[in-house]
Amino acid sequence: MSRLRSAGSAHAGVAEWLLQRVTSLYMGGFVIYAIVHFSLLPIHGYAAWKAWFATGYVRIAWALFLASILIHAWVGMRSIYLDYLHPLWLRFSVTLLTALGLLALALWAARILLA
Amino acid sequence: MVKNKKRPVYLNLFKIRLPVGGILSILHRATGAFLVVLLPIALYILQRSLHDPEAYARIATQAATPVGRVVVLVIVWVFAQHFFSGVRHLLLDIGIGDSKPVARRNAWLAFAASLAVVALIGVCL
Repeated sequence: MSRLRSAGSAHAGVAEWLLQRVTSLYMGGFVIYAIVHFSLLPIHGYAAWKAWFATGYVRIAWALFLASILIHAWVGMRSIYLDYLHPLWLRFSVTLLTALGLLALALWAARILLA
Repeated sequence: MVKNKKRPVYLNLFKIRLPVGGILSILHRATGAFLVVLLPIALYILQRSLHDPEAYARIATQAATPVGRVVVLVIVWVFAQHFFSGVRHLLLDIGIGDSKPVARRNAWLAFAASLAVVALIGVCL
């Protein structure tokens, strides 16, 4: 019975499901683009690497990539916790720690992107 | 509900034969969690590589050592495995490969593809 009550409403989870798909498609596209790009135009040395990263559209693509990773990590880790962490206090604290950790990584990523 | 006392309780994990799709599904989670743990290290390397030429050179040299190459290839395998089991997931969403034989064949393909990527990167780098 307690299992049934915690099942929640029928539509809950659709947003997570969709976010996981959208972010995976973007990340897949970005990684394939990067592999093709570096295969055709290999980057030699720091200056070329920095110049590539400084290009406007590359930086925006990286920003979307890093944001996708963090969202994808959040949805994915949460679904792992929901399946394997049963004591509520444990699930709650691990989920909270993950949220804070990913938030910290987001701020750090923003700093790298704006540097 | 009447409990059947004689139902077989057989949960020896070494004796349960998980189908290949099941193994792939567990690996999708394990590799995903591993990649999340790697995130801070990856961000740190990205930041250092953009910081100054010396840091960039140090990362490039370390990645080229035997140990560095093994570490890079393990990470490539974990990522490629997660990538290809993810592609299989997305294809299942649009109804490709949801019959049992095709789902199993695609699970084997996902393993083969990730190993092929590791071999290719290993040869190229």
